[in-house]
Amino acid sequence: MIQKSVTIIAVAVALLAGSALGTSKAIARDYVSIVGSSTVYPFATTVAEQFGKSTKFRTPKVESTGSGGGLKLFCSGIGVSHPDISNASRRIKKSEYDTCQANGIEDIIEVKVGYDGIVLANSKKSITMKLARKDIFLALAKQVPDSKTGKLINNPYRTWKEVNPSLPDTRIEVLGPPPTSGTRDAFAELAMEGGAKTFADLTALRKARGDEVKILMDKLGIPENAYNEKGKTVFKLVAHSIREDGVYIEAGENDNLIVQKLEANPDALGIFGFSFLDQNEDKVQGSFIDGHLPTFEGISDGSYPVSRPLYFYVKKAHVSVIPGISGYLEEFTSDKAWGDEGYLADKGMIPMPDEERTKFSTDVKNLTPLVWQ
Amino acid sequence: MSTEKTMHIVQRGLGKRYRQEKIFKLMGLSAILFSLAFLVFLFSSIFLNGYKAFYQTAVSIDIFFDPAVLEVKDPASANYNGLIKESLRNAFPEVKKRKQKKNLYGLVSTSASFHLRDMVLADPGLVGQTKTIWLLADDDVDMLMKSYIDRDLPQADRRMNDLEISWVDKLIAEGRVTSRFNIGFFTNGDSREPESAGIMGAAMGSMYMLAITLALAFPIGIGAAIYLEEFAVKNRLTDIIEVNINNLAAVPSIVFGLLGLAVFLNFFELPRSAPLVGGLVLFLMTLPTIIITGRVALQSVPPSIREAALGIGASKMQAVFHHVLPLAMPGMLTGTIIGMARALGESAPLLMIGMVAFIVDIPTGITDPATALPVQIYLWADSPERAFVERTSAAIMVLLTFLILMNGTAVYLRSKFERRW
Amino acid sequence: MLQTLSSTTPPVIESGNQTKTRARVSRDDRNTAGHPFVDKPRMSCRDVNVYYGDKKAINSVSIDIAENEVLAMIGPSGCGKSTFLRCLNRMNDTIAICRVDGTIKLDDQDIYDKKIDVVPLRAQVGMVFQKPNPFPKSIYENVAYGPRIHGLADAKTELDAIVERSLIKAGLWDEVKDRLDQPGTGLSGGQQQRLCIARAIAVGPEVILMDEPCSALDPIATATIEELISELKLQYTIVIVTHNMQQAARVSQRTAYFHLGDLLEVGQTDKLFTRPSHQLTEDYITGRFG
Repeated sequence: MIQKSVTIIAVAVALLAGSALGTSKAIARDYVSIVGSSTVYPFATTVAEQFGKSTKFRTPKVESTGSGGGLKLFCSGIGVSHPDISNASRRIKKSEYDTCQANGIEDIIEVKVGYDGIVLANSKKSITMKLARKDIFLALAKQVPDSKTGKLINNPYRTWKEVNPSLPDTRIEVLGPPPTSGTRDAFAELAMEGGAKTFADLTALRKARGDEVKILMDKLGIPENAYNEKGKTVFKLVAHSIREDGVYIEAGENDNLIVQKLEANPDALGIFGFSFLDQNEDKVQGSFIDGHLPTFEGISDGSYPVSRPLYFYVKKAHVSVIPGISGYLEEFTSDKAWGDEGYLADKGMIPMPDEERTKFSTDVKNLTPLVWQ
Repeated sequence: MSTEKTMHIVQRGLGKRYRQEKIFKLMGLSAILFSLAFLVFLFSSIFLNGYKAFYQTAVSIDIFFDPAVLEVKDPASANYNGLIKESLRNAFPEVKKRKQKKNLYGLVSTSASFHLRDMVLADPGLVGQTKTIWLLADDDVDMLMKSYIDRDLPQADRRMNDLEISWVDKLIAEGRVTSRFNIGFFTNGDSREPESAGIMGAAMGSMYMLAITLALAFPIGIGAAIYLEEFAVKNRLTDIIEVNINNLAAVPSIVFGLLGLAVFLNFFELPRSAPLVGGLVLFLMTLPTIIITGRVALQSVPPSIREAALGIGASKMQAVFHHVLPLAMPGMLTGTIIGMARALGESAPLLMIGMVAFIVDIPTGITDPATALPVQIYLWADSPERAFVERTSAAIMVLLTFLILMNGTAVYLRSKFERRW
Repeated sequence: MLQTLSSTTPPVIESGNQTKTRARVSRDDRNTAGHPFVDKPRMSCRDVNVYYGDKKAINSVSIDIAENEVLAMIGPSGCGKSTFLRCLNRMNDTIAICRVDGTIKLDDQDIYDKKIDVVPLRAQVGMVFQKPNPFPKSIYENVAYGPRIHGLADAKTELDAIVERSLIKAGLWDEVKDRLDQPGTGLSGGQQQRLCIARAIAVGPEVILMDEPCSALDPIATATIEELISELKLQYTIVIVTHNMQQAARVSQRTAYFHLGDLLEVGQTDKLFTRPSHQLTEDYITGRFG
């Protein structure tokens, strides 16, 4: 009896494996495959679901791989085994664009979908923080200019009051995403760089080239091995380095977790996307940054400084091959989705101004490919 | 030494020996109580967080199936949302402002229009009638009903403002709000709207994956165990193989995910996100466990059984398959089920092969895109909407139920087939 | 030849009455006293050496086994009697490091010949083990298993007949005929051992090897098995290894005495126990060691 069942299983396995491997290369995909940023994921999935449920097409599959991971998959080639669309919480890089070109993906349509704000928030039980980007830089950078000599020293500040006398006398404690996260990249670029630029020497370093860089590095006390011909690279190294002495706590990619921890620890601040603030207004409050609260309107009109555009990229060659891509694009770029009153706004995405929306929806209609300047 | 003296010495040491035994027993007992306490804490916190997800708020609304809206070329694409909006406007005629109207429409789930569509497609006779229909409430209304939204907080601090709460209160007063068993949670696929999100898609994905894992890992693992234990010559090569198998059993699962990405996706070009690939990866992951437990089970069969069979002229193969294997089977099954349970709870390797994805359609085959139960839990835990918190816990409960069932089966099989010899 | 002898013979023998022993050895059996050979042997073994890895466990043993006799093999623990017994149906093949040389013939066919298949050999030379080891299956299945795998019965009725005949021969039929479908492991120790004998008989062997079949049984069960052995010898050739000298005296016609891998003496049982030729045999049977 056992022999018999073993035989049956063996035959079944052989058939299964054979059919799987044999047919794999010929499987035509009848659904749209989307990869990319975890920030765009909640919006892309909402559109995908709406599209799937209101049409006869299958619901697109959305993977949350991060912007970089998504574009890597996206640029790996043309064909059903490669994704059709990649979401990104930053613009595609030149290097990624070149990879795409090298792999035969010549025409990529770039679609900007809206904005996302990055907020610094704390528990409702505490007072609302009124921060400047300079304060954020001084509180979180690994090395900051010494207030007397102007040389870079290891960050000495332990309380907010030391950073800025108008701030409360509480310990600096910030929960935020790890370096692999797109939110962290954007935070470093927008908030930290913004703060760093308030120091004249650092601004000068950013613009300097060649020997000027060496002189400025010497002035700032940056070791020579960090030298790069472009001052901007050295500047970024300084501005993007977040302190590692326990003041900044990496809380993982899960923003919900950060919200829960803030509730438990009223002195701490957390860094996360606007949509989580939007959903948890009863528990946490956003801090002022440079005089602006992270509100829907503030991010939309650009007055709130720490906000970033969100994109997705489409392979033109796939549009006519994979059923549903054009429908999905149409759904995403319709006013009921990304408009001021659209359902993506309900999900926490900040819509673009009218003229930008018109530009990108026209691009989508005409399938205008991205041309790298 | 006289007997009396010996007994005296023995008596003297006796107290100490009993004391040591007692202390050891106490330590063992407290260790068990300690872990039980953690287990109770874990289960009760999951249960308390999640049990409300099994109930769902619905609101009833008088819908007029307006022929002007529905009698179009393709009834499937008619504006069902418009019907709901119309009915809500009729129920609350005092709402005039645009922004307020938008909030009013938000009382009902966005999936409600699909429900209406399905009703009309199933029964075209509805057109022209007015019916009172129970529709899924929006997740915010659900949260309010489940008292997750605190009415005492200042208006700005909660997801629903005073006006919206007053609408809900009016509906409650009219008996138009009810809490009903959340069937959708068990029959729907994933959704961005917490109120219509379900576990079925992930459960089916897990099932397809485990079916493939089992179909491959069981025969191959048992076959390898039998070959290594009963037939293979013991030499340096088999030693190396054994060390490698033991090492593989301890390799972090993410490594198998990377292997799956390189071999199945990039080389064999199998479809991404498919349970087929997930099953293959989990098969590689569980295989060493099954081989090791299989070998242990074979070793535990007394050699006298083999001798008995060989002694009357059974071939080695017959001795193994007729006598040794049936006796080793309970142990092998236990190992297999424990391996399967581990595979069921695994999410890290699936990340690499694209199964951490938003998939609404319930998979119907092994090449359809699918996700798995632990992945679903991870995705929901990471969603901003508050209502996903309780769904996360509910999904954990479903996963735990599966795990308990599987481990229970292992215990049952062991006690049923275990034989004395 | 003498040089070979002195180099391979254990030192204990040299301290014994070597002259007497050597006087009786023929060219073939060297250090075996008594009468190892018979006229029409069923099995004949010549110069059998067994090695476990580098260790020699059996040292040049030559002996014949006559038809329808019970040959008892006795000797102190570790003397190699079980090892030698297991050579007779090549059960030692299952031990990877075990190597056998010399010739062992069953009806003039060398059983270690490359052309010989062990499967039919073990059907011809059955074996009963020290500890009763019935399969954890029904009584019927235990007996029917051998005939079934060898294809000895075509129809169910034929198989039933073989099972019944074997159980009758093993003296177990009356005790189990009403519960053939119950597990064999549920029987008492003595019954289990008779079931194992029935299982061996069922495939129609010519020779039955018994490796201390009663060592795990109580005296009453032992007596039953001994009675059974006396009946079985009418049809089968039986080789029995035993620790119990009284048992050897009771059941066997000839007895072989093994000592540290050597076969020291073979003779008619009554003669060997009353007038042993070899000093060590005498020491053993009189209980000076063992």
